[in-house]
Amino acid sequence: MSKLLRVLENEVQIAALLFMAVVYAFRLVWIFKFKPLRERTSPAGSPTAGISYSMLNVAMPWAMESTRKKPGFYAQFVIFHLGVAAAIAATFIIPYAPGLFKVKAVGRLFQVIIGAACLVGVLRFVRRLTNPVLRLISTADDYLSLALMILFFAAGVLAVPNNSKTAEWTLILFFGLTAFFLIYVPFSKICHYLYYPFTRYFLGRTLGHRGALPPGRKSESPCPPGIREGGKPQ
Amino acid sequence: VKRRRRSGVSGIVDAPLETKSQQKARLDRIPSLVPDRLQTYDASADNVGRFLRLLGQRINRHLAVSMTACVHCGMCAESCHYFLARPDDPTMTPVYKADQIRRIFKKHLDWTGRVVPWWVHARAPQDDEDLNRLKNIVFGACSACRRCTLNCPMGVDTALLVRFTRGLLTELGIVPEGVFNVSRDQWETGNQMAVTEEDFLETLQWMKDELQAELATSEVDIPVDKVGCTILYTINPREVKFDPRSIANAAKVFFVAGEKWTLPKWGWDQTNFGLFSGDDNLGAYVARNVYEAAERLRAVRIVISECGHGYRSTRWEGYNWADYEQKIPTESVVVTLKRYLQEGRIKVDPSRNTVPVTFHDSCNIARSGDLVEEPRWVLQRVVQDFREMHPNRRENFCCTGGGGLLSMAEYRPLRLEVAKIKAEQLKATGAKLVCTMCHNCIDGLTDVIKHYNLDMRVVQVLDLVSNALVIPEILSGTEKRPRQEAAEMNGPPLDSREKHATKVGG
Repeated sequence: MSKLLRVLENEVQIAALLFMAVVYAFRLVWIFKFKPLRERTSPAGSPTAGISYSMLNVAMPWAMESTRKKPGFYAQFVIFHLGVAAAIAATFIIPYAPGLFKVKAVGRLFQVIIGAACLVGVLRFVRRLTNPVLRLISTADDYLSLALMILFFAAGVLAVPNNSKTAEWTLILFFGLTAFFLIYVPFSKICHYLYYPFTRYFLGRTLGHRGALPPGRKSESPCPPGIREGGKPQ
Repeated sequence: VKRRRRSGVSGIVDAPLETKSQQKARLDRIPSLVPDRLQTYDASADNVGRFLRLLGQRINRHLAVSMTACVHCGMCAESCHYFLARPDDPTMTPVYKADQIRRIFKKHLDWTGRVVPWWVHARAPQDDEDLNRLKNIVFGACSACRRCTLNCPMGVDTALLVRFTRGLLTELGIVPEGVFNVSRDQWETGNQMAVTEEDFLETLQWMKDELQAELATSEVDIPVDKVGCTILYTINPREVKFDPRSIANAAKVFFVAGEKWTLPKWGWDQTNFGLFSGDDNLGAYVARNVYEAAERLRAVRIVISECGHGYRSTRWEGYNWADYEQKIPTESVVVTLKRYLQEGRIKVDPSRNTVPVTFHDSCNIARSGDLVEEPRWVLQRVVQDFREMHPNRRENFCCTGGGGLLSMAEYRPLRLEVAKIKAEQLKATGAKLVCTMCHNCIDGLTDVIKHYNLDMRVVQVLDLVSNALVIPEILSGTEKRPRQEAAEMNGPPLDSREKHATKVGG
């Protein structure tokens, strides 16, 4: 392993990670500077249940019409984000638990997941370029973030075998991109995961308090005798 | 504000800012034209500067994260009836509309947008023309139905952003004329249709006389300002002006249920144009009128007649706008009806409602409120043939008249064009009556039905309950069958409703 790769895998990553943490801390302070709302009404439902439902919404494709009607798109979302998780995990496994990727099955599994995510990234990039709706709203940040993710995934697939002797450049590319990401992410749309708990919390709390979430709250009493569901007489 | 050329395909209506009503209000020196009340447009003022200052001052945490969290995935597009009706027009998507305020936020308050605005499409409005264009988007191309919010994977509350933006523009007087006029009326008279106290009391007396004749008893009453009642009943001014029989229907049910109830002489308007204009001051003023009336008359419970935005405003938003701790239970009359049926205080005969009925969920009640099953519970007991419309409940489409759009004539062609989604939904039910618990939806749906030549009419839950209501002999001497056919149930003839439809914000 060259000195460059060793520094890149360790000191540079830690420094970049610290930088990201500091920026996120500022970001959180920034969010908390905006005034909160106080609820003055008596509840019709449970804010806690609403928050839980809202937070877990991501794992319930049936909960929203937008994901229910597009299972393929939801599957892409899952694969893409599993790929993100796997690639991030790889940035820690390679320097700190390299033995794990010596187990062939584990390495292959990571490569498949990250590779699939890379493919989804390409599909999403094409969609962003060809869909007029997305083209109209897409910013340079949207394009660059996605392009970088595709590159990051591709580098991840190559880096997972962790072969610094014969293919060191793949590791240098992967960790170089990781360091860049850690610095760039807090200023890009990729940091949406930082906001997700907030948006979901506020929506869940508001609609949970009102009894609108979780949906499917039934009326206490069943239909009266002689009337079946739909209102027609039996 | 002058017209500016439009570029590309866009359904956004290019309506100039009309200020005749505002000028007249200034000439008339109406009392509401004071700070923190009604605002008018001043072409010589630094409106962009004020807009940006207000944006910074008024934004709260919930709004701020909705501004920042959007990932531009486009999943919201197909939840919006504007985009579904105009699939080739990308400016009709919720994300595009929300981005028009988001880009200002980014330029003004967000780090990346302030340093490298071009990178994230951050841009502050340059002049009043830009603000007018923003007005046409947030007032004219969105009914704030919240359907996109519930379909956003990130939980971005686009409807909240739209209302917030409307509020900033309202503060500058950059609003459609209809919005200004209704707001003026509500500030000036305490109700959005400028119903005078005399008209109000006369209408109630008229309905009382009709009811006494119908039930053949002088015991039935429509009390006003009675102290110590169980229920303070609040209504929509539309009921006084165009649909007084809905008040009579409520009075009849209360009479049969043996309820102690009253209307207040002041604070009876449960509708609230502050919800539509985004003006929290107006929202607080109107809601406070209702809450204070309930306290003044020592009512046990506030009951809100069937009105979508009125229910949302009075039950949920109003207490927060007015910074008024809720002390009195506040409910929709549909919940009251359900309780009466459960407790056996009223009896109904569903064989009196034989016509196929479907139910339209009001956005403000189903998506921003809590009542989804309650109206169905009641309907299933008072009609024989109930048919769900699809999608329904929290996934229902807007009547297309929400968000105060019925008061904005300049956006009517677009509203009716995108109403084809609703028309298809209605038609597929095969029902002859569409029931809704919202006065605004009555007018919105009536417009849709007329425009798309559907063989349907609109009724409310109370109409159907009243029609099915069994009057005990002990109350009237002989068992009455109030009104026979659904054809009679919808208050004044449809023509009269349509005539007034553009005035109404129910």
